[in-house]
Amino acid sequence: MARKQRDILSVEWIKLELIRTAYATRGGLFTIMDPRAVIIWYAILAFVPWFTHNVTVLAGLFVLGAISVVIARVGPLVLGLFIIGLGFEIIYLVIASLMFGGNWETLIALGVLNLKLGAVSMASMAAFVSLDPEKLSDALLSFRAPHLLSFGVSYGYRMLPIMVEEFNTVFDGYRLRMMAPDKPGFLAWRTIVHWGKMAVLSFYPIFLNTAKNVRTTVEALETRGFTYAQSDPRGRKLRLAYLRITPLDVAVLATTIILVVGCFWLGAAFPVYR
Amino acid sequence: MSPIIQVSDLSFRYPGAGADTLRNVNLTIERGDFVAVVGGNGSGKTTLCKTFNGLVPHYWAGDFAGEVIVDGVDTFESGVAELSAKVGYVYQDFMNQLVRPTVRDEVAFGPINFGHPDHAERVAEVMEQLDLEPLAGRFTWALSGGQAHTTALAAVLALRPEIVVVDEPVAELDPARAHEIYRSLQWLNEELGLTIITIEHHAEFIAQYTKSVVLMADGAPVWHLDIDEAVNRTGELAEHGIPAPQVVQVCSALGVERSPRDVDTAASLLTSRGLTAAPVEFAARPREARCVVAQTVDVHHGYKTVAGDVLPVLRGLNLELYAGDRIALVGGNGSGKTTLLKQFAGLSVPRSGEVVIDGVNTRSRPPGKLSEIAAYLYQHPQQMFLKDSIRNDVALFPSGRKFEGWEAIVDEVLRRVKLAEFADRDGRGLSGGQQRRATLAIGLAMRPKLLLLDEPTSSLDVSSRDDVTSTLADLAQVIECTVVATHDMHLVAEWANRVIVLEGGEVAADVDPRTLFTRPDLLTRARLVPPQVVMLGARLGMDPLPLSVDELVASLHAGANV
Amino acid sequence: MTNSHYERAGALRTAGVNPRLSTPQKLMVFVLSMALFGLANIILEIIPGPHIGPVDMGVSNFIFVPLTMVALFSPFWAALGAPLGEIVFVDLLMGDFSGLSELEGYLQMFLALYIAGSIIRNPRSKVQIWVGAITVIVIDKFLSAVVDLTKVWIGLEDAEFVEGLPESILFLEGLGFGVDVVISGILFGAIPAMWLIPALHGKIEPLMGMRPRVPGEPVPGDAPRTGWFVVVAIAIAIGSAFFSFLEAWDIEVGVFEAEFLEQYGMSFLWVAFGAIALTVVVSLVAYWLGTRGKEQPDVGAADAVAKAEAEARKEKVDA
Repeated sequence: MARKQRDILSVEWIKLELIRTAYATRGGLFTIMDPRAVIIWYAILAFVPWFTHNVTVLAGLFVLGAISVVIARVGPLVLGLFIIGLGFEIIYLVIASLMFGGNWETLIALGVLNLKLGAVSMASMAAFVSLDPEKLSDALLSFRAPHLLSFGVSYGYRMLPIMVEEFNTVFDGYRLRMMAPDKPGFLAWRTIVHWGKMAVLSFYPIFLNTAKNVRTTVEALETRGFTYAQSDPRGRKLRLAYLRITPLDVAVLATTIILVVGCFWLGAAFPVYR
Repeated sequence: MSPIIQVSDLSFRYPGAGADTLRNVNLTIERGDFVAVVGGNGSGKTTLCKTFNGLVPHYWAGDFAGEVIVDGVDTFESGVAELSAKVGYVYQDFMNQLVRPTVRDEVAFGPINFGHPDHAERVAEVMEQLDLEPLAGRFTWALSGGQAHTTALAAVLALRPEIVVVDEPVAELDPARAHEIYRSLQWLNEELGLTIITIEHHAEFIAQYTKSVVLMADGAPVWHLDIDEAVNRTGELAEHGIPAPQVVQVCSALGVERSPRDVDTAASLLTSRGLTAAPVEFAARPREARCVVAQTVDVHHGYKTVAGDVLPVLRGLNLELYAGDRIALVGGNGSGKTTLLKQFAGLSVPRSGEVVIDGVNTRSRPPGKLSEIAAYLYQHPQQMFLKDSIRNDVALFPSGRKFEGWEAIVDEVLRRVKLAEFADRDGRGLSGGQQRRATLAIGLAMRPKLLLLDEPTSSLDVSSRDDVTSTLADLAQVIECTVVATHDMHLVAEWANRVIVLEGGEVAADVDPRTLFTRPDLLTRARLVPPQVVMLGARLGMDPLPLSVDELVASLHAGANV
Repeated sequence: MTNSHYERAGALRTAGVNPRLSTPQKLMVFVLSMALFGLANIILEIIPGPHIGPVDMGVSNFIFVPLTMVALFSPFWAALGAPLGEIVFVDLLMGDFSGLSELEGYLQMFLALYIAGSIIRNPRSKVQIWVGAITVIVIDKFLSAVVDLTKVWIGLEDAEFVEGLPESILFLEGLGFGVDVVISGILFGAIPAMWLIPALHGKIEPLMGMRPRVPGEPVPGDAPRTGWFVVVAIAIAIGSAFFSFLEAWDIEVGVFEAEFLEQYGMSFLWVAFGAIALTVVVSLVAYWLGTRGKEQPDVGAADAVAKAEAEARKEKVDA
C-alpha cells in the first residue's frame, strides 16, 4: 500500500483539533461571554436534570443542550467522540440486558437515563469548549478556587501542544530505530504489542526531559512572583479586573432560566413517566 | 561607579552533592557593567549567577557559606520574590521560562503577581522597547526561538530590575538572532544603565559586546578583568575552552601584538601594518557528482494550519544528491529545511511529487524500513536518547535488526566518536559536545547511505563545535552523502562542499561555500552571518574569499612576500 | 586552587538538607505529575481502545505513569497533581467534563495513588511496585464498582424493577473490573512500572534538584500529620461515595412511587448535597490544619535522613 499524506486521523490532525478546541477558535456565543456567567450557566443546566424524572422535561432539557452545542460550535472530534460514546453505551447495555431476559421496558429506562446524561454532557461540552484556558482559570480564581488549580489549568493548556509534539518526536524515534515485527500476526497482535511497547518505552525519555523542563518553569515562576501572589491579594485583583458581567451575559442567563422553567411547565402540562 | 553586587567568601554545596560547587567566591560587579561570565563545564558559572537572585539558597537549599550583597541587600536575609525586583534572569532553555499562553500575558505575569498597579504601563513600555507589539497576541508555544527569547527578556524587564542575567543567549539561537539579542542587551546597558551579566562561551560575542570578563574555574573566579585586557589573555581563555575569536587568531599568527575586538578593528589594524592579501589559489573542494543517492521530483508539501488551510512549505523541489556530497542546507526560519530532511527520512511523504532514496520510493516503505538507508538525527540530543545508556541507544537499531556482529559495530562507532569511556552513562548527563557526538554515533550505527542532521552544532561552545565538525569530516569514509540543516557558517566554511539555500520552500541557490559568501543578498535573506575570517577577507578586498584562518594567513603572508 | 587546599572561608549559614520539601519543590512535583499524567491520558484518548463486545478492552489508564511519580517523589503532591492532569488535559479539553462525578473520579484517583505511593517504601522493590500498581486499580476501580453494584443490590429488592438490567450491570462491572486489573493494573501498570521506576530512581531527582528517595526513610513531603490525614481520607471517601450516590439516585428512585418522590425526593437530594458540602468543608479545614506549621523541621526526621544518606553513599561505593 503506497503511503500518502493524510490530514485526517493523523497525530498532526488531532493536535490541531485539540488546539482548536482548547482555544475556542471556532467562535460561538459563549466565547464572548464573561467566563463566570458561562460557568453559572453550565451549573444551571448541569444540576436541573437531576431533579426530575419527567420525560417531557428531560426531553426539553436535552433539546436545550443540543441547541447550546450548535450555538457553541463544538468541533467534530469532540462531538464525534461524544456520540460514539453515548451510542455504544446504549447498544451494549441493551444487548446485555436482553441477554439476561430484559425487555423493551429496559430500553425505555435506558433511554430516559441517557436523556439525562446526554443533556448534562452537552451543556458541559458547550461550556468548556467555549472557555479558553485563561478565561476558565480566571473564572476559577474569581470563585476562589485554589491557586494551584487555576494555574494548573492555564499551564496545562500551554504545555499541551509542546508535550504532544515532544511525545511525537520520541515516538517517531522509536518508529525509526526499533525493529517492527516482520509479520503482523493474528488480528495484528504483534503490531499492537509493538506499538504498545513503543508507547510505554517512550515515557522513559519523556519523564526525564519533562522533569528538566519543569524545573526551569518552576524556577521562573518563583522569580516572577507566583508564590508571592498566593499570599498577596493585590495580584489577584489586578488579574481579574477585566472580568465584567455584560447585558449579554444577563440576557443569556435569563433566557436559559426562562427556557428551563418553560420545560418544567411543559412537563407539568404533559407529564410522561416511564 | 559603585558596586551593585558584592560576593564575599561564598561557598555553596547542592543537597546530596559530594563537593562544593562554589568555593570561596569573592567578586565585585560595578553598577552599569556588562559582564561576561566564562568558564568550562562545571566551573559553577550558572550556580554563581543563581546566587544573585536568591534562587541559591532560597530555592536550592544546600550548604551556603559567606554572603552575597545585591544592591545593598544581603540575599540570605531576603527572598526570591524581593530579589526578583532587582535581578532578572533569562534561562538558557528560555522556552520553558514562558508560562502563559500569549506574549502579552507572559510579559504582564510578573507585574500582576507582584500587584503593581502600573502593570499596564510597564508592559506597554517594555513591549515597545523590544518591538514586541506586533507579537502581543501570539501564542508563546508558536514563537520562533528569537521571538521567544525576546519575550522572556521582556517578561523579566517588566519587573524593572537593575540587573539582568542572561544564560547563554547564543546557545539556542541562530547567529543573526544572537547578534540582535546582544544589541538589545547593549542598548539596555548603555541607554538605561542596567547591569548586564551574560554567561557566554563565544569569544567573538564577548569581545564585541561586553565590558568586562569573569573567568571561572573550579567554582571560583580566576580573574575579573576589563575586556581590553581580557581579550589579550587568549592562552588562558583557550585553556578553559574558549578559543580566541578568528580575528585575534589571524592577528597573532601575523605577529600583531594588539588583539582586535571585531572585524573592523582587525581590518584597520592589518591595513595600518601594510599587510595586503595576495591572490592565492585556494584548494577547491571537489565533488564527484556521478552517482545519485537521493532525489526529489517536483515535491510539494505543507501543513494544515489551525485555521484549516494548508500552509505550503515545499514548493516543487527538484534536487539530486550525489555520493560524495557534503551538503549544507541553509535558509531562514520556515524556509522548509527541517521539512525537507523529514521527507528524505521518510517520516512523512510529500503531498505531491516523489522522493526516491537509493532507488526506493519513500511511498513504498514504512519509516522503520527507510531508516535502513536514510538516518535522521533530531536537533535536540535529548530527544534521541531513548535508552538509559549511550551504548544501548547506539545498539537499539543494529541489535533490533540483528546486524551481523552488531556488538562490534557499536564498539567501533563509539570509539570513532571518542565516547567509548562514557558508553554506560545516560546521554543527558554528558556535556553538550559529547551529546552531539553520541547522536552522531546513533546515526552511524544505523549504517545509512544518507545521513540527515538537523542543526548538529547549535548550542555548542567553540571547541565542542570544532570537535563535531571534525567528526563529521571523518564520516565521509563511511557515509555516502550527508545533509546538514544549519545556521552555523563555520560548519559551512570548514566542512561543506555544496550549499543549498532554501527560501520559501524553493531552491534559491545551489552553490559551493566560497560562492555563497560572495553573495551578500543571499546571506541577508537566509539570515546567515559569515565567519569573521570571511568578513575580514572581504574587508581586505580578497577574491577568492578565504574560508579558514589558515587560508587568510597564507594569503597575507604571500602578500607580504611580494 | 586544588581540592586539598580548599577550605570554606565564609561562615556557614545553612546546614544539611532540609528533609521537608520546600514550596517550589512541592510545586515542581505537582506540575510534573500533572503534565505527565495529562499527556498519558491524551495519548490514550488518541489511541482508539478496541472493544470486545460490550467490554472496553482498551487501556483505561497508563497507571504506571502516576505510579512512578508517587513512588519516586512525595506521594501526597504527586497524587494531588496526577488526576488534575487527567481532568485538565482530557476532560476539560475534550469538553467531556462531567461536573460532579469528575470530582468523584479525582478524589478516588487521589486516594488510590496516595495509598499506593505510601505502600512503596522502597522504589527498587519489585514486590512493592506490584502491590502498589494493583492497589491503585483496586482502590480506584473498586470504589466505583462497589458503588455501581450497590445500585444493583438496591434494585434487586424490588422485583418490579427493570428486568435484566441489574444482572447485566453486575456482569459488565465485574467483567470490566477484571479487565481493568489485568490491562491497566498489570499490563500497563505493574509491568512497565517494574522497569521504569528503578530506571528513573536516582536519575530524575537530581534533574529537579532533589535527593533520591532512600529506601526506608520517611517520605519527603509526606502527608502532613498522620492523624489529620486519616480524618481527611475518611472524609474524602465519604464524600466520593456521596457523589456516586447522586448518580445512583437516578435508578434507585424507580423503586419509589412517583408521589413519594414528589414528597421526599427533593429533600433527600438536598440532604445529600448538605453532606457533600459538609465533607468538603471538613476536608479543607482538616487539610489546612494539617499543613499549618509544617515548615519547622522535626529533629527525629532529620537524623533519620542523615542516616539514610550515609547508607545511600555507602551503597553507591559498593555499586
